[in-house]
Amino acid sequence: MQKVVSEISGVVFSLPWLVARDEGLFEAEGIDMEFVQALNSGKVTPTENPEDVNPILGHVAFEEAQVAIYRA
Amino acid sequence: MVRPDSTHYYPGTLGSKPVAVQFHAGSHYVALRLLSGYLPEEKLKLVHYGSPQFRFEAMMNGEVEAAALMEPWITLAEKLGCRAVCEGHYLGAENASDNMDEATFAAINRAIVKAVNRINADKRKYLRYLIDEPRFAAVAARHGGITAEDFHLPRLRYSYNTPYTDEIVADTYHWMVRWGLLDGAACSTDLVDNRLAEPEAVAADD
Repeated sequence: MQKVVSEISGVVFSLPWLVARDEGLFEAEGIDMEFVQALNSGKVTPTENPEDVNPILGHVAFEEAQVAIYRA
Repeated sequence: MVRPDSTHYYPGTLGSKPVAVQFHAGSHYVALRLLSGYLPEEKLKLVHYGSPQFRFEAMMNGEVEAAALMEPWITLAEKLGCRAVCEGHYLGAENASDNMDEATFAAINRAIVKAVNRINADKRKYLRYLIDEPRFAAVAARHGGITAEDFHLPRLRYSYNTPYTDEIVADTYHWMVRWGLLDGAACSTDLVDNRLAEPEAVAADD
């Protein structure tokens, strides 16, 4: 089995991934899929300036090479 | 979306009114694309509130006039009497690291194609994933909750992964540079590496 670690963020985006895991579709392809939850923004200080916000957002695990794939 | 008691019925009255989005994410980009069709740039007032929970709450408590939401927050808002003043869709992306080999990516994609087929064959069956997500469920419970019957199913759109076309990359690149969201010195070919082969369609009963 090929081990893959994937980030999971909003369920609406990740639904096929969750279904593929729970219904054995990754396993059938020889993939041992592990999910890591994206960081939630938490309550933020509102701003009107996009430059105040790091565009990486919650995808820290991908930026730090802890996961191999994410979706947004 | 706007609150049930809102006086806004279409985007044209939202000039200089705060609209909650998450900067550098889909809610930001789709709000820009939608509102800029009705309002001059100087009247767009997008405000970063982070995750959809906080955008929803800012709308409900009156901190903002409107919020860009996605499912299942749209369904919850509609159940509470909120209404959409405009609605748009955008393309999701799978982003793989440089060291993801093609065979692994292809195997993942075959599994995803089968999952997409299963979801599209019976969307309502899979809504529990959205309804039961803990952060959403906690907020929804405070508002009476939602059920699978509350969803407008055509809003949920799952399709096969396909590579970005050069045209889509170029159009998106120029749009982002125009709105100051991307350094014009960056080159689209530096940003996108389309190594994914076209996935084979798999029958719905796989």
